[in-house]
Amino acid sequence: MTTDMSTRVGALSLANPILTASGTFGYGLDLADLCPPERLGGIVTKGLSPQPRRGNTPPRIVETAAGMINAIGLQNIGVEAFCRDVLPELDARGVTVVVNVFGESPAAYREVMARCERERGVAAYELNVSCPNVSAGGMEFGHDPALLASLTAACRAETAKPLWVKLSPNAPDLIGTGKAAVDGGADALTLINTLRAMAIDAVQRRPVLQRGFGGLSGPAIKPIALRMVWEVHWALPSTPLVGIGGIETGRDVAEFLLAGASAVQVGTAVFRDPAAPLRILGELERFCAGEGITAVGELIGGLQWPC
Amino acid sequence: MIARRDLAARVAIVEDLTPTCFRLELLCCEPVAASPGQFAMLRCAPGLDPLLRRAFSLAGVRSTGDGTIVEMHLKEVGRGTALLRRLAPGAPVAMLGPLGNGFTLGIAPGQRLALVAGGIGLPPVLFAAEMLAAHGSAFDLFVGASTAGELYEVDRLAAAAAVVGGELVLCTDDGSRGEPGFVTAALQRRLDAGRAYVRALACGPDPMLQALGRLATARGLEAELSLEEPMACGVGVCLGCVVELEDGRLVPSCKEGPVFPVSRLAARWRA
Repeated sequence: MTTDMSTRVGALSLANPILTASGTFGYGLDLADLCPPERLGGIVTKGLSPQPRRGNTPPRIVETAAGMINAIGLQNIGVEAFCRDVLPELDARGVTVVVNVFGESPAAYREVMARCERERGVAAYELNVSCPNVSAGGMEFGHDPALLASLTAACRAETAKPLWVKLSPNAPDLIGTGKAAVDGGADALTLINTLRAMAIDAVQRRPVLQRGFGGLSGPAIKPIALRMVWEVHWALPSTPLVGIGGIETGRDVAEFLLAGASAVQVGTAVFRDPAAPLRILGELERFCAGEGITAVGELIGGLQWPC
Repeated sequence: MIARRDLAARVAIVEDLTPTCFRLELLCCEPVAASPGQFAMLRCAPGLDPLLRRAFSLAGVRSTGDGTIVEMHLKEVGRGTALLRRLAPGAPVAMLGPLGNGFTLGIAPGQRLALVAGGIGLPPVLFAAEMLAAHGSAFDLFVGASTAGELYEVDRLAAAAAVVGGELVLCTDDGSRGEPGFVTAALQRRLDAGRAYVRALACGPDPMLQALGRLATARGLEAELSLEEPMACGVGVCLGCVVELEDGRLVPSCKEGPVFPVSRLAARWRA
């Protein structure tokens, strides 16, 4: 039996529920030899800003138990280089491209989107409002419902394409910020971004990362991500969700879909295994076949809560 | 770009080289083409601990009847390398590579290279020495370690140098073997004595590479340094392993390196 693997995130149809997470798959072509992006549901680009950004001084990463902490600092090539050098080939290959956007002001977010609106090949936008690494990089938007609603509304005015907002697990009120994004015009919510974390070198008596703090990702955060996806799905049942956090296997994907996600993003797993998104897709197909599932969409929100 | 591959390899040999370092040879059933300076990302164990692969410089590649043997020398410094040291022959190991660039080995007749290694920086330098010897390209070898017991593969180094009439200079920090002191001082003495090199190729701890960068810059000698940075992916997407260049840009060493000309690097590698 073959399972229909297609899914929808609001108005956006995807061939399958597996996307790559922002910051873990370059701009979509970087790992094409190891993981052809056109075979995935889609790719989410590294966060793009109006101008190129240098990022943080190293050390930027540290491995932790079943996870890693990063403080890359939103290094990117800038929207112009992406539109000129990368997007045409993604479009030619038929890749579903979600452009991850950030800026230091609503105007900067809009500038990135306006530049992309002049091109073919962008399927949707994802607003990074929760990167915990750079003080000026947008953290305030994701933590304050009113700010988030106005930012989302400003970006909404820039495009008719699907607009996703990536929620921060560090926000004091996750559901409040989710509602604010939807009120501002978001079509879907992505969750979760990394958890603010730190690692300490006890001999040096210093933080391992140059920035002190970073964002924790990987399997260590999966249970938290599942709980948050379920809570937001419960609170906002008609809002499509894209689940992310420590996905390593096809069965992990099934768990996120059951919790209410319509699609998922694979991130840190790519660092362990650049072909992980395709491997996970194969595992999900086998899981569905084994469970007698005819369409993967049957799983979405299918969690049976114990009464 | 040549497509990178995640190779299914098996352990052929694990054996101690020194109290802290060991040789790991992996057998791949397909041809592997590699240059000295390139590296591979190895998964240390199945499961989630350790989560990330580890990057190791290649010490050599040779064909056998069964496929290709990829040789690496590892220093046990943590859980990942401890797990690799305990692998038994035949154990499967996922190996992504070869990755990154390599040293510039080409020289004209009459020219000579200086190959400089410190500690566990020896693998790419040994690989380069054996490849240069096979091509008949001239070089001198400067190999340093903290103490005599941490020098290894001396016979192979001597054999490679002998092929091209090169000098093998051994150095130890404690003077227990060879010339006492650092390899960079030994190289400086040769330069002072009038020996000329077209280029120095080096791998070792950062202070050694910085000393070499300063020496090479002061003497107008071209030099290439193989750098080691904390690395998550090895394929240019995590941006964890960035190195600062002379123009201030931060570039991933896995993709633009790990070998960099000193002239391209930030001032701290030269001054």
